[in-house]
Amino acid sequence: MDASSQYLSADYPDRADHLWRYTPWKKIHPTGDISDIPSDFSIPEVSLKTIDGSTLPPGISLDRGDADSEGLPDEEKITKSFLEAVTGDSKFTLTVAPKFKSEVPIIIEISTSGTFCSAHVCLDIGKLAELELVTVVRGTCKWFGMLRTGSTGEGAITSDVVVNRLEHGKLLRVESISIPRNSQFKAGTVSSGSTVTKADLRYRMFQPGGNLNVLGSILSAKEMSLDHHIEIYHDSPETFSRLDWNSACGGSSRTVGTGMLRVSKGSNGADAAQLFQNLLLSRDAQADSIPELEVSEHDVVGCGHGTASGPVDEDQMFYLASRGLSPNESKSTLIAAFLNSTLSEMGGERMHGWLVSELDSDLTELGD
Amino acid sequence: MVSDNKPILEVKGLKVGIEGTPILKGIDLMIPKGEIHAIMGRNGSGKTTTANVIMGHPAYEIEEGEMFLDGESLDDMEPWERSREGVFLSFQYPQSIPGLQVGNFLRKSVSSVRGEEAARGSEFREKLTSAMEELDIPKSFLSRYVNDGFSGGEKKRFEILQLMLLQPRLAVLDETDSGLDIDGIRTVSKGINSVVRGTENGALIITHYSRILEHVNPDRVHIMIGGKIVASGGPSLANLLEDNGYDWLEEQVEKGVDFE
Repeated sequence: MDASSQYLSADYPDRADHLWRYTPWKKIHPTGDISDIPSDFSIPEVSLKTIDGSTLPPGISLDRGDADSEGLPDEEKITKSFLEAVTGDSKFTLTVAPKFKSEVPIIIEISTSGTFCSAHVCLDIGKLAELELVTVVRGTCKWFGMLRTGSTGEGAITSDVVVNRLEHGKLLRVESISIPRNSQFKAGTVSSGSTVTKADLRYRMFQPGGNLNVLGSILSAKEMSLDHHIEIYHDSPETFSRLDWNSACGGSSRTVGTGMLRVSKGSNGADAAQLFQNLLLSRDAQADSIPELEVSEHDVVGCGHGTASGPVDEDQMFYLASRGLSPNESKSTLIAAFLNSTLSEMGGERMHGWLVSELDSDLTELGD
Repeated sequence: MVSDNKPILEVKGLKVGIEGTPILKGIDLMIPKGEIHAIMGRNGSGKTTTANVIMGHPAYEIEEGEMFLDGESLDDMEPWERSREGVFLSFQYPQSIPGLQVGNFLRKSVSSVRGEEAARGSEFREKLTSAMEELDIPKSFLSRYVNDGFSGGEKKRFEILQLMLLQPRLAVLDETDSGLDIDGIRTVSKGINSVVRGTENGALIITHYSRILEHVNPDRVHIMIGGKIVASGGPSLANLLEDNGYDWLEEQVEKGVDFE
């Protein structure tokens, strides 16, 4: 059965499901008519470059063509089959050679346009590679669907940050990354674009020694609705994961963060924790965070979760005021600090500087 | 630099409460230019409230009285405006701000209080380096987050580092000596002296102990009990109080002893 047929025969997702509780499929579907698979999808411009414009080092390439869909969550047939159906010719594979090393972070720049646009990006990262990667999505399309799949090699150290800078419209992002033996993977999400976002992000540690840090710096304003679902699978012994997700919500926006931590039987020595924090910047802003655990193994180091929401701290505001910062300066400084505490963990100094400069103008607006 | 004879700080008949509970019950205080004054008092006597009210903390209600900095009324100024006019508060418990790097914070603060030029270029870097050396603060400090995971001593040194960079007209130091060892008190006192002594700036030191006062040698010491300044005198008053205690001092005040 091809992807279109699979999509049309799939059951409509149940709103009681953790993933679909806040943003139902109908809301994120390109036309709202869930029986429709629009045919007029355009292919975005996709390029690979270094963060400072220098020549790409040898051992890394981005090729258009087939992309491996292996590892996609079977349980979410709707998004998987829909995105597979609409990314037909829009498939790209990033190949990183074993033992690749780059001092400079690498960027995959995706520039969207038109009404509907989609891309499937597959990561094929070699054994023992060391890489800092930013995938930035920009442009003006009304609906963008992005599928990201792939795996890192054994012993690889990867920082993989996705930045949403779409000017408006809707973003559907589905991601599935496999993390093998002794591989360290940092998965960052920076979101300050698109009006509606639905993201389903899945990370699976399937061999011993996998180490995962999932970090979010989410900035929502005006009437944005940003919904991120993160699922972390500990499917092997001695695996480690941390999830730190910070959302700053202004205007009448809404952010949703749902986490699902699954520790399967036999994953002894698993060490996992997730924390969602929300900074509410206006009376009408709304933030919902629901971390959930499903632990089937008794012999774990720890599995914890937490969530905290609140307005800007008045004592911190007074402290900054006592150092000469006006109320607007203090507020934007505190918002930036809040987001920076996760942003600064996503990569090294260069990547951090680049990410801060990307967010700067949005932060100033939000502080006003 | 201001050269008229107006005091740095003048507080007249200040009555302050919080949520209807009176805390300060009529404070009069005058700090002339170039002087360091100290306030001592039991816990709950109103010392920290005095410091916060001078800085303009919004939680306190001023029921009566006035405050002047260099003859200018502070009453209608917001805390950030007071800071830009030259008021500095070293907090007893400084706030931690995860995500805000010390280096960025110092630049922002110096830029706000002393102007953008003061926070730029080699002059700023030289001042920063020299102040950090004087306070025994390592360079790596600049990339840490503001007060996040700092020890008690590091927090207090960081407050004094800010004091040295901002060079305020009036420094209010709320229990800056608490949490510091003897070397720390000596180092911090040196920082305070460098900002006030030989200048027309002033300082108000709030403390429980005479130890820090041995290093900064205040011009006047005031004793606060129950929201009022009940006694004022020279530096020896701090030692008298430490030797004899507050009950003794209250008895002396009741007897009408003048400590001037």
